[in-house]
Amino acid sequence: MNKVIEISNLSKNYGSKGFYTRVLHEVNLSVYENDFIAIMGPSGSGKTTLLNMLSTIDKPTSGSIIMDGKDITKISNRELSKLRKEKIGFIFQDYNLLDTMTLQDNIALPLSLNGCSSAICLRKTMEIAQIFGLMEHLKKYPYQLSGGQKQRGAACRALISEPKIIFADEPTGALDSQASRDLLECLKKVNEQQKAAILMVTHDAYTASYAKDVYILTDGKIRCKLSKGQSSKAFYDRIIDAQAAMGSDLA
Amino acid sequence: MSMMTLAINNFKASFKSYLSLIISLSFTIMILFNFQNLLWTDILTGLGKYNSVNINAIIQIMTIVIFCFMIFFIWYSTNVFLTSRKKAIGIYVFMGLSNQKIAMLYLIEIGLIGLVALTIGIVGGIILSQLFTMIVFAVSSIKMATNFVFSAKAIVISVIIFLLIYGIFIFKGYIDIMFSSVISMMNAKRQNEIVLQKKWLLFLKALLGIGVLGSGFYLSIQYYGIYVLSTALISGILVIIGIYLIFGGFIPLIFQQLANNKHFLYQNNRALWINAIIFRIRKNYRTYAIVSVLMLCAVTALGTGFAMKNKYENIARFESVYTYQIMSSQNGLYDEFSQLINEENEVVYGSEAEVLLVDDHALLSYSQLEKIADDTGLELALACPWDDEYIRLDRLLVMSFINDNAMESQTILDQQLYRMAKTTVPYLGYMQENMSFLVVNDDVYAYYRPQAQRLYFYNYRISDATNFLASVDMLQQHPSCEGLVKIDPNNLQIEWLKLTYSIAIFMFMVFVVASGSIIFMKTYNDAFEEKERYDILYKIGIDQKQIIKALNNELAMTFILPLFTMSFASYFSIKALSNVMFIDLTMVNVVSVLIIYVFFYLCYRLTVIVYKRNVNLK
Repeated sequence: MNKVIEISNLSKNYGSKGFYTRVLHEVNLSVYENDFIAIMGPSGSGKTTLLNMLSTIDKPTSGSIIMDGKDITKISNRELSKLRKEKIGFIFQDYNLLDTMTLQDNIALPLSLNGCSSAICLRKTMEIAQIFGLMEHLKKYPYQLSGGQKQRGAACRALISEPKIIFADEPTGALDSQASRDLLECLKKVNEQQKAAILMVTHDAYTASYAKDVYILTDGKIRCKLSKGQSSKAFYDRIIDAQAAMGSDLA
Repeated sequence: MSMMTLAINNFKASFKSYLSLIISLSFTIMILFNFQNLLWTDILTGLGKYNSVNINAIIQIMTIVIFCFMIFFIWYSTNVFLTSRKKAIGIYVFMGLSNQKIAMLYLIEIGLIGLVALTIGIVGGIILSQLFTMIVFAVSSIKMATNFVFSAKAIVISVIIFLLIYGIFIFKGYIDIMFSSVISMMNAKRQNEIVLQKKWLLFLKALLGIGVLGSGFYLSIQYYGIYVLSTALISGILVIIGIYLIFGGFIPLIFQQLANNKHFLYQNNRALWINAIIFRIRKNYRTYAIVSVLMLCAVTALGTGFAMKNKYENIARFESVYTYQIMSSQNGLYDEFSQLINEENEVVYGSEAEVLLVDDHALLSYSQLEKIADDTGLELALACPWDDEYIRLDRLLVMSFINDNAMESQTILDQQLYRMAKTTVPYLGYMQENMSFLVVNDDVYAYYRPQAQRLYFYNYRISDATNFLASVDMLQQHPSCEGLVKIDPNNLQIEWLKLTYSIAIFMFMVFVVASGSIIFMKTYNDAFEEKERYDILYKIGIDQKQIIKALNNELAMTFILPLFTMSFASYFSIKALSNVMFIDLTMVNVVSVLIIYVFFYLCYRLTVIVYKRNVNLK
């Protein structure tokens, strides 16, 4: 299977020499095509820092992140923006849809800015909106949509340019359980059909149970990895057990 | 912490963001003060009584214009301030402060801003007053020494006018806070979420806008005789309402249609900026309409100024054709007077004319007119009138509110004569400014001659007009000299017209600067609200370059829309002005619009830089 991202010895310190806080400590992780990974951990464990560095928003202190054969911590801004444009999709906790445009325009935006023809933009928008059950909401503005619809819209936007990997930062953090389930089902479907790898940060065991592998991060280190068996229910129970065994709340 | 300390701390902390408000307020105060200063000091009395009365009248009118402008400007800037403060106000509400206390806090803060602006405005105004006077005089080419003087009365009046307007608007803000709910304050910045207006409403507004604007334009280019002034007024009001509706209906409709056409929208970075501009127009269409109207006023003011200057030059021309004009009942004295003048001065050219006074009319023959044109070098483009026709030698009107082109006829003794043409070429110099002459063909002239009283004009132009006094005594002592007109080249009687010109230029600059800074101020404030949008774009991995391109397009549009509307409307307003003033102002129109374009381009560049800084784009 193709490797999408390879993280080796990734460390991140904040603060100046002598007075720094180590947020991440030599993290090693590989993400393959078609993976669906959840990273869990208590507040301050370094989840978001890790995601920020993977999504090129932040730079590590040491270590490397190899993506598409290149170390993204060392490439130029120009290459970086090309990478972000073509290979990475983002989903955030607070949706981050643009108020100024309709859902349809929001979803089509990355494609149209990439120079795709309008016909392709339209076709792909329809296809992906179909998968996420948003067809009748395309003409609406974000303020007319519910949280769940907004988040599914944001997921559509992340997926429309067919990225190799999706980074999702607490995607269900602001949703109720039904809306969370709808979103996760859609993500699962996309993961299976389109082979896009998904790397998701969450503190919710139920959300994590949709992933194929769950990594638990504490104090900047990956402490354990849980892999899904046949049953989601059993996986969920194992995650809860692991949480209990780690002796801390993972919120 | 007391209310006062909190307010002062707030003021200190956000001084930078209040800076644009303070600067614009002081700017208006400075202008007001300078006009008042001209009015209340004796700077202008040096121009002579007749002029200073006229100039004072103009300054009074200007004060009213500035007063209206200040009302709008202060209303606008305090409103922007209130909206930007509402979010912070909402937080105070959660901290448990009563509306009353918060309103008090607002009052103290905005009061401080007002005081600072007032101080800067008055002090700056005093410092700049002499410069202002010097510039006004220089532009008007009035040669007069200016001293550094300022009047306490001007200060008091400026302060009162400012405090009055400012007071009303901050009181309005105070009431606004007292009676607004927590939710509305917290959501003050989110009020602009509703983007789309109903299509039929937009369509209706657009249709109405085109209709109203069209009828305004139609009226402005029609001739309505003595009703020209009221027509101009009505068309002005129609144009203002029309522009308002165009920005509220027509332009949003166009952009919404563009956004609905996805094949158009999903090209380049249109999805970003077309949507953003719809949002922006929805929020700011009143501002853009006002800016268009303000620029329209600027162009019209400049047009008026140039028209006045033109009139001045024309009048000056009437007086500069001849230095002396002698009236006599005796014929054949041209050479005699010429010799007298040549004793002290040198005659450059001259002319003579026999005028018939008959039935309260002054008649001149066409052949004489030809000879005068020949002697003086003035152009004669009119053909000889027929037997029942005449040419009217007329004076120029400074400003005519009548543009009546109706047929004119005169009955002289038993004959009815019709006007064939009218000319304002100064064949008879100053005389022509005081009475009008009818030029008839030589046959008609010969018919009237036996029955008429005859009067002879001897006109001379000397080489050094400033030495005109030297020959006056000799001419007056001549027994046949029954009247002498002598032209003093340093006469100041119509200097006020020149001053109108420089004031018009000044108003043009004020209006243009104001319109540019209104768009700048608005965009500056919007940037803080729109920062989130750019954060999102960055987060979802959109290329910075594309964001900047879209941003450039969007901001350019906010300048282009009012500019184009103004350019279009200015053609009609200048046309109407031309009708009133009898002068072709096309060049003034083109030049003033071009100047505004250049200035707006600079404003646009500056706005882009500041906006990018405010939304953290590099």
